[in-house]
Amino acid sequence: MVEVKNLTKRYGLNMALKDVSFKVEEGTIVGFLGPNGAGKSTTMNIITGYLSATSGEVTVSGKNILDEPNEVKKLIGYLPEQPPLYLDMTVREYLNFMYDLKKVKQPRGKHIKEICEITKIEDVYNRLIGNLSKGYRQRVGIAQALLGNPPVLILDEPTVGLDPKQIIEIRNLITNLGRNHTVILSSHILSEIQAVCQRILVINHGQIVADGATDTLAHDLSSDHRLVLRVEAPEREAVHAIRELEHVTEVQSFGEKEPGIFELSVEADPNADVRKPLFALLARKGWPMMSLKNMDLTLEDLFLQLTSTDNVYQEEKEQEQQAAASVQIGPEGMVEVSEPSAEEVTEEKEEKGEEEA
Amino acid sequence: MKAVFKRELRSYFASPIGYVCVAALLALYGYIYFQVMASGSSSNISALYASMFTFSMMVIPIITMRSMSDDQKNKTDQALLTAPVSTISIVTGKFLACFFVYFLASTLGLLPAVALTFFASPPWGMILGNYLGTLLYGGAMVAIGVFVSSLTVSQIIAAIVTFAISVFLMMIDALTASLSNTWLSAVVSWLSFQSRYTPFTQGLFNIPSAVFFLSVMAVFIFLTARKVESRRWS
Repeated sequence: MVEVKNLTKRYGLNMALKDVSFKVEEGTIVGFLGPNGAGKSTTMNIITGYLSATSGEVTVSGKNILDEPNEVKKLIGYLPEQPPLYLDMTVREYLNFMYDLKKVKQPRGKHIKEICEITKIEDVYNRLIGNLSKGYRQRVGIAQALLGNPPVLILDEPTVGLDPKQIIEIRNLITNLGRNHTVILSSHILSEIQAVCQRILVINHGQIVADGATDTLAHDLSSDHRLVLRVEAPEREAVHAIRELEHVTEVQSFGEKEPGIFELSVEADPNADVRKPLFALLARKGWPMMSLKNMDLTLEDLFLQLTSTDNVYQEEKEQEQQAAASVQIGPEGMVEVSEPSAEEVTEEKEEKGEEEA
Repeated sequence: MKAVFKRELRSYFASPIGYVCVAALLALYGYIYFQVMASGSSSNISALYASMFTFSMMVIPIITMRSMSDDQKNKTDQALLTAPVSTISIVTGKFLACFFVYFLASTLGLLPAVALTFFASPPWGMILGNYLGTLLYGGAMVAIGVFVSSLTVSQIIAAIVTFAISVFLMMIDALTASLSNTWLSAVVSWLSFQSRYTPFTQGLFNIPSAVFFLSVMAVFIFLTARKVESRRWS
């Protein structure tokens, strides 16, 4: 539905985007994750035609934004970072204006009423936008993006400035919209992305550093696939028995954590799931399992790792890239590892050096 | 274009700006009418319009100062530029809204002349000539003002620069006299808004002048659209 190819944006000497490519299928909710200034808004502004890319192209359902700007703009509902509201208008006047501006074909009264119901702004319908709270302004911004029922919605930090209850409402709204719209939303709130999106794109310094399904991204990019187990069993025997299991590469004991209960760390091949055989083994032996924890990275760890510029993290990241390169494409076929290889990274460093010189 | 025009016009009259500009111009029209007719005991309607030329020059920058800069400042241009309309029609809509405010003031400025018809027969040819000249000159100045407004996010700067340009265009006549190069002075006088405007004050519909003012409008609307689009590439 939305395809972005080799997008580069340069502001003077500053590269805001470097060769960003991705594709969003119809009916998916994609989360754009990245620290401030990573290039999320720039990418969104280019897709919607507000900015132009230095190079690269954007197509929405096969139409190029530069060749058929008005056709593409009709397909997109856009909520920029700061909702584009005229503070001297009432909500009613504003939505009617946007209805005219977007040349919406649906019956005016009914369509606007529906959107007000969805976004819950009926009770401020006749009030001046300038007098509304941030949360309501945000909702009017979302309402404006929904006008004309465009198949693609691009929402730049849609829940900023909302209270917790409103955040939940807006998330539910986006989830509902995701059923029959293609949604691209950006945020730097991890839990939000996790709750709403089916796929995550992590962007940092203008480059996509990770791209994958929300559920599996953290697992796939982790180099650490240890399980931490607490079991009520004789320490030595348990370590030996577990080590015998297929795919298990290493078992370590962390000692007695509770009376008679030992904590063991079980390492296995990255692509093997040893939880079932482990459970069967313990059951057979009559050793009660007290807890089992996955040591995969959480999305938060992943985010910090991917977006940190510290050297320590850089090294870790490179290890990560090697690990990621060996990740096979999952059954859903969603995992695309678009990490630059170590060679590319060094090439870029050289380029940077040249530019500076 | 229509949507933008309606919105802009609404915003002029939702805030005091539109009313103040129209009221100020009308008050001056009324006062000078009175001065020319009663105190001066003169029927030279062009004297009135000569003064109005100066006043319009001062009011137009106020009308146009916010037209483009406000959108840029409040980021509402994101809504306009991501909507399925061309930049030129957005700019034209804004130009027409500004022009309409000025048009309203100029047209209501005919009221004293209409009142006069009950007691005498004013020279309508001359009045309409002046009226048309005012509109054409005003339209060109509005287009320049809208363009200047697109260059900055500050309304104040937009107003001052537009004002400076209009004063310069008025004084350009004086410059022609001091230029020794005849070729240069011809170009300068060709550009002079005042010399273009003068034929209308004699009740003449001067086609070259009309074309000149209309071209100025077209050129500056076009330049404004280019300026707005160029922001995408910066």
